[in-house]
Amino acid sequence: MEKKLNEFKPGERGVVKRIEGEGHIRRRLFDMGVTPGADILLRKVAPLGDPVEVNLRGYELSLRKAEASCVVMEVK
Amino acid sequence: MALNLLSAAGTIVSVVIGVLAAGFVVFMLVWHYVRKKQGKGGCGCGCSGCSGCSSCVPKKKKPDEK
Amino acid sequence: MLKFALAGNPNSGKTTLFNTLTGSTAHVGNWPGVTVDKKEGTYKKLPEPVAIVDLPGIYSLSPYTPEEVISRNYIIDEKPDCVINIIDATNLERNLYLTTQIMEIDVPVVVALNMMDAVKKSGDKLDAVKLERELGIPVVEISALKNEGIPALMERAWQSAAEKREGSTVLRGSALSHVIDDVKIALKGKGVPSPLFHAVKLVEGDELEVKNHPDEVAMVEEFKEQFKDDVFEGDFEAMVADERYKYISAHFSTAFVHAEKKETFTKSDKADKVLTHRIWGIPIFLVILFAIFHLTFGTDLLYLNTISGWFNGGAGFATDIDTGNEVLSAFVAVFYTADGISTPGAIVFNLMGFITDQIGGLIATGLENVGAAAWAQGLINDGIWAGLSGVLSFIPQILVLFLFISILEDSGYMARVAFILDRAFRKFGLSGRAFIPMIMGFGCSVPAAVNTRTLADEKERIMTNRVIPFFTCGAKAPILAAVCGAIAAQYTGVNADLLVFALYVFGMAMAVIMVAFMRQTSMRGEVAPFIMELPAYHAPQFHNLMVHLWDKLKHYLKKAFTIIVASAIVIWFLSNFSWQWQMVEMDESILYDIGSFVCWICTPMGFGVQWGEYAWVFVVAAVTGLIAKENVISTFFVLGNCLAGQALLDEGSMEGWQAVQFLVQQTGISWQGLIAFTVFNMLTIPCFAAAATVKAELPKGKFKFTVAFWLITSYLTSTAIYLIFTWWWTVFIVAVLIALAVTYFILRNKGKINFSRKNKNRAARE
Repeated sequence: MEKKLNEFKPGERGVVKRIEGEGHIRRRLFDMGVTPGADILLRKVAPLGDPVEVNLRGYELSLRKAEASCVVMEVK
Repeated sequence: MALNLLSAAGTIVSVVIGVLAAGFVVFMLVWHYVRKKQGKGGCGCGCSGCSGCSSCVPKKKKPDEK
Repeated sequence: MLKFALAGNPNSGKTTLFNTLTGSTAHVGNWPGVTVDKKEGTYKKLPEPVAIVDLPGIYSLSPYTPEEVISRNYIIDEKPDCVINIIDATNLERNLYLTTQIMEIDVPVVVALNMMDAVKKSGDKLDAVKLERELGIPVVEISALKNEGIPALMERAWQSAAEKREGSTVLRGSALSHVIDDVKIALKGKGVPSPLFHAVKLVEGDELEVKNHPDEVAMVEEFKEQFKDDVFEGDFEAMVADERYKYISAHFSTAFVHAEKKETFTKSDKADKVLTHRIWGIPIFLVILFAIFHLTFGTDLLYLNTISGWFNGGAGFATDIDTGNEVLSAFVAVFYTADGISTPGAIVFNLMGFITDQIGGLIATGLENVGAAAWAQGLINDGIWAGLSGVLSFIPQILVLFLFISILEDSGYMARVAFILDRAFRKFGLSGRAFIPMIMGFGCSVPAAVNTRTLADEKERIMTNRVIPFFTCGAKAPILAAVCGAIAAQYTGVNADLLVFALYVFGMAMAVIMVAFMRQTSMRGEVAPFIMELPAYHAPQFHNLMVHLWDKLKHYLKKAFTIIVASAIVIWFLSNFSWQWQMVEMDESILYDIGSFVCWICTPMGFGVQWGEYAWVFVVAAVTGLIAKENVISTFFVLGNCLAGQALLDEGSMEGWQAVQFLVQQTGISWQGLIAFTVFNMLTIPCFAAAATVKAELPKGKFKFTVAFWLITSYLTSTAIYLIFTWWWTVFIVAVLIALAVTYFILRNKGKINFSRKNKNRAARE
């Protein structure tokens, strides 16, 4: 089932299916390891609701929900 | 006699102080002017504590040899 | 001399390794973007000395921020003899992403597998030999922190530097390998160095490459036409990134054996749960911030005295202690006064004051005994020593503040705060990332301005640079401490540290407001994205902290004994001599004339002609502050001592603080004027050094607007503060004016947007 990363709840995990969006954000997401096939776990949401912290490839990454909405995930 | 010596010493000290003070100010002005011309200085940070203020380090010309 | 470059992800240990290799004391922090420019040193333990260059951390060779451009350009243009790629072994996959790119350049590469101690501790196993076999380049295990494996690393780097190396790519098995080869051959034919690297980047569509090699772009486009794929739909950029990670997962994960599934909570995770807690995260941050100021500037530790006062109906338990011996009483007062138990910051401040007082006394007696002329005594006591001691007495306290800020930086907490505050920052037009250089501004504006290079968006960089001086730096802190201390002494019920904290917060609030303002006017645009690594928490390294403090101490002492002393001498001279080079009373001096002439400008701000004869001291102090903000205090001390000296003649002496208080009383300035004066100094043009650094960080032409920005903001804000605090009803006038301005800008922007949309629609219809 497809789901966008920004819709994840803390503790949810999935695999990246594809990255939408363009330009710098896309480039940056790739460089940080958010590529198709990557395993991502949503760690937590910031106190004010945004950004979110995800765990992937062994480290912690912070993303805004707007940027996370570019990441289409596959969840069981 | 002793009083004369003391006042002489006092005058010497005073003159030395005055000269040093004036000289110091002049030295500071000149020194900063020279540093500015060389393109250095400004923060006196020593760069190692500064996370790389490249405005301190003068731009080096491209090295010709390895 | 051979040149080795250190390249790798942020926080992979490059700078720690650099320090170990070169023996330098370059600052190591624990947030992304500590190194923002290349640093050079020398390694002397090989047969020949080798130059070592520490590059800023990068995640990829496709530059996203200016600091990443620096690293990329260095490796490609400066052609180091070897690139030592430092990899954080606890984070292998993402680190290797960069490695696969570096390997495509025609340069010898050696991998330094850092943080192996952490890997071993967590029970994981990493087979360096296997990694070396797979990559085809030397791999050496090291721990930069523990100084292990370094000689072996340098040996292998030395050996590999002796042989030429051609770039290799992990994409050779992919669907893109043919077009990459074709482009590579074309580039090689043109004599372009590192053709493989440029070929891959061209296929990715990297902007810099496209600009430099337009012919090859056509080749790639042609290939794109023919290439059919469902997954990426011709997006080669995504394909390449994907291929790299696929390769990494397939080949290198076999070298890495997890002890157990990495979901268990480390100490860092546990700390994080509390510090970035959904509900408690922000309150905890505010408490930490307040605690820092309290421990630095407070005079009543944990407010114990004040609290006991509440239960006692007024007076707390603390009293001044009189031991009968003046010196001993003064010493005891360092730790315990009628205000309460002294906080660490207050203790070191009092101690330093005690020491400078004693020294001052010795100097004065010494000069008298030697029989130095009255003017010479005045020059030393009221000029040099007054100014110098005033500044020196604050240094320990500022170092305490620095210590706390350094702990925040080194622990990695700052990145988390940026994470927490991002949403709030966004409302005002900044990304949370801008928070880091701002907090650095509490130490010194210079490194803070340099750190703005890590912000990707130009507008954000400009705005952040402009407001960094609003974060009261270490040199301005004495002004706040002095003024708030004076006000607290005069009016009971006022806590100095609360007032200082309020002023600091005001500075931050002004920064936020002015950023919002700029977003509506000259810096319109979208907020920069916020994709940032959150490094694990680190217990701050004691050694690192001490080195950092020592650096700052040296810096402040040097400043004090050079600039401050020189300025004090000049001020003393100008305030004791007339235009005819005769020594006179202050009200006939050069400075009196100059000062009185200009001080009318400061009247609206509350420290001008309204205070009569000696009001000019404030504008003079503020102007000397342009050279170094410590000069504001130093000037007060010099002028205060001169005035006290001539007022009292032979009847006792008044030095240091008493002299300053005397000066302030002579002017008769109100507390509102004092606060306005402080605010003016907080917001106006920073010291020349900081101004020059900001100028270097801004694009051409923006600096003059920045200076105007500082002057206008400080002038208007100080005026508003003075007016509102003195005549409370003026708050309505000010509020109305602000509301009008805000409405104007919002309407103008809304109007502008409609206008262009109308044009867009018109164009679309055509």
